Amino acid sequence: MNKYFSTKTSIFIFAFPGLLLFTAFVIFPLIPELIISLQNHDGFASSGYVGIKNYIDVFQSSMFWKSNRNTIIIVLMSTLITLPFSFILALLLDTQTSGVRRFFKASSVFPAVLSVTVIAQMWVAIYEPQWGLLNSVLRAVGLESWTREWLTDKNTVVFAIGTAFLWQYIGFNMLLFYTGLKSIPRTYYEAALIDGAGPVKCTIKITIPLLQDVIKYLLVISVLGSMAMFAHVEVMTLGGPGGIARTIVYQLYYTAFMTSEFGKGCAYAVIFVIECLIITLIINRFVARERIEY
Amino acid sequence: MKKKLSKFIIKVLLIVLGLSFIFPLYWMLNLSFKTKSEVYVNTFGLPREWVFTNYPDVLKSYNFFVYFKNSLIYTVGNVVLTILVGSMLAYCITRMNWKYSKLAISYISIGLVIPVQVVIIPLFIMLRQLRLQNTYIGLIIPQAAFALSSCVLMLSAFFRSLPMELEEAACIDGCNIYQTFFRIMVPVIKPAIATQTVLLFMGAWNEFPLSYILVTKEAYRPLTVGLANFFLQIGVTHWGIVGAAMILTSLPTVIVYLLGSEKIENALTAGAILK
Repeated sequence: MNKYFSTKTSIFIFAFPGLLLFTAFVIFPLIPELIISLQNHDGFASSGYVGIKNYIDVFQSSMFWKSNRNTIIIVLMSTLITLPFSFILALLLDTQTSGVRRFFKASSVFPAVLSVTVIAQMWVAIYEPQWGLLNSVLRAVGLESWTREWLTDKNTVVFAIGTAFLWQYIGFNMLLFYTGLKSIPRTYYEAALIDGAGPVKCTIKITIPLLQDVIKYLLVISVLGSMAMFAHVEVMTLGGPGGIARTIVYQLYYTAFMTSEFGKGCAYAVIFVIECLIITLIINRFVARERIEY
Repeated sequence: MKKKLSKFIIKVLLIVLGLSFIFPLYWMLNLSFKTKSEVYVNTFGLPREWVFTNYPDVLKSYNFFVYFKNSLIYTVGNVVLTILVGSMLAYCITRMNWKYSKLAISYISIGLVIPVQVVIIPLFIMLRQLRLQNTYIGLIIPQAAFALSSCVLMLSAFFRSLPMELEEAACIDGCNIYQTFFRIMVPVIKPAIATQTVLLFMGAWNEFPLSYILVTKEAYRPLTVGLANFFLQIGVTHWGIVGAAMILTSLPTVIVYLLGSEKIENALTAGAILK
């Protein structure tokens, strides 16, 4: 039957459009990117090959290291704070009545549905130094000395942007964990209960191992998502005074589109894609992938 | 007793957090009815003096209808193109006798780990050389290319779960492959297509980096970018107008959300679990 359907022509007609679209706009651009990264290019034309000079310039610029540091802070925030926190929320949600569950599930996706521009702008208002929510609350509880200009202070800006970004997706992460939890058969917990295991032990010995797939998926999307965070930096700070808020992706954008150094921008992009691949490989290596069937 | 108390505390905590997630909606609505000066003295409370002029005012300085039309064209184009091309590729990979199907799915999966920003510079140059910059097609195509990976993977999982008898019956009834696909298979995977539509709609409507960088002409900007530029250009002085602009921008997604928050929840989780 399959043979009858699967002529060469029909396979071509079904597979070609998708493969062409994907190849032409996702994979192929990596080639000109590599080529341009070896050139002195202003966005319109190349003025000749310069070898690996762009890469040397990038590694020597302090902005490269600063933007990497900012990116790492955001990635660490999303893996070490957001993921455990959203997992705990999912566990807590599981103990509640269906009314609370329904309300919390429905509200948790709302920030992820809104446009980043709106979310970013709301956080700008929260961090506003004069009348913003954060400083007003600090003043009201007598912590006047803690108030500051959150988005222009080089010690707080990255954490401030990171918080806004993570808050937007924490509910979504929670929802994925929760859906994963619900798919674990109750009988496992009943058996553990009979054997005398408490809730903490159940979580460590049953829930976490069985949620491997979800954990791994969330790990990959949160790490890659936070590495590629761009809109929040742009709308909230435009990179911050002196570029203090720039992430590596922002630095890439800035170099190419604001200073017209497309060659150097491409060098940033090549380095960034290598970073992404290394991180994905590390996650794949250390979080085992076995399909779990119940 | 202790158990009841802790359950109550958790309940309060979850409700407070849940309210914080819908706080943006309250905040935008609230701002949009305040006067310019009130925002600074009474930022987060209800307006003391309700004004309704922010809405007509914002329509004067903010090209809402242009952006809205553009967003609609980009989103519809993206959803249609991605689903058409993606479902055909997924069908070919899972149901047809194709010796490279394993290779094809691994190849498509690469798209999941390449963020858009990685290739944005060469894309920008390519689109200009193809004279596609500042056209609708010029944004729809790259957006769809980047949305394709997850669409193909999810639809593949669905196709795989269907019984082979479907095609056998179609074949006996004399359908050719194209009729089988469009008349029988597509209707059967309608739920999956609906899920993908919701996901793609949300993704395309809120897409930021590609539309922000690739589109350089005002007349072709979608809402999200229009709004960001509106903030950046006017500098934020009149938050009442900003609030109204944000409400107008978010309205379509908020309506979709209110109509089917459960569908969105299911779509978001289904899309993830199946990968």
